[in-house]
Amino acid sequence: MATRADREKQSWNLGDRVRLRYSNWVGRIVEFRGPLGPGGAQIYRIEVESDPEPIYTEVREDQLIRLPLEK
Amino acid sequence: MPNLREIDTQCAASLGLAPPNPRLAEENVRGYVVFLSAHFQGFCRDLYAESAQVLVARVRRSLQLVFQAQFIAQHALDHGNPNLQNLKRDFSRFGFNLELATDPANTIRLQHLAALNEWRNIAAHHGVVPAGGLPSVATLRDWWNSCDGLATAQDRIMYNELRRLLRRQPWPP
Repeated sequence: MATRADREKQSWNLGDRVRLRYSNWVGRIVEFRGPLGPGGAQIYRIEVESDPEPIYTEVREDQLIRLPLEK
Repeated sequence: MPNLREIDTQCAASLGLAPPNPRLAEENVRGYVVFLSAHFQGFCRDLYAESAQVLVARVRRSLQLVFQAQFIAQHALDHGNPNLQNLKRDFSRFGFNLELATDPANTIRLQHLAALNEWRNIAAHHGVVPAGGLPSVATLRDWWNSCDGLATAQDRIMYNELRRLLRRQPWPP
């Protein structure tokens, strides 16, 4: 039987493409940081596509918008 | 910390083998050192992230991403050892100096942390073991206790500083 934490974790996978709310930043989930947000909110490390090198940030789950996988 | 306990047990057992197996014992000590350092680094990263997210939550939602990205940019603990210099550098972004050394109880702990980081580099990069030989299991346990003490001290400092900034409890005490 999956725990609540397991189910939350299963809703996102490493490598999922996401857009970040209130921005045009698009990136991928590169790390599950755990329940480090206020009230135990899950935090995800995101690698944002950028030139010349990617930008990293750590955001809450409610800041993520799922994007379809690239073909 | 079951994983640390397991490697502690394994390390102690390999040092007590009869007949002795020095190469196995050395590899276990190297593994213990790297694992302990990584464990402490993980704690420090998590405390930093948790503290940053508490502050970010007080900012207008449309601005939160700006602050989140700035907290992560050039974050020393993402790649560097958890030494005092990197800890002070990262946590200074909260607007105060992380003065672990002002507590007399931390003096020996910081010496242990410096030794742990020195050995972490020797172990991880397969450096030459100094003439004094490998640290004993008792020494490694002392370093572990010191990391625990420093973690508690950092947590207390961050709690108090964030409470001062936010005028409320940052998290349940």
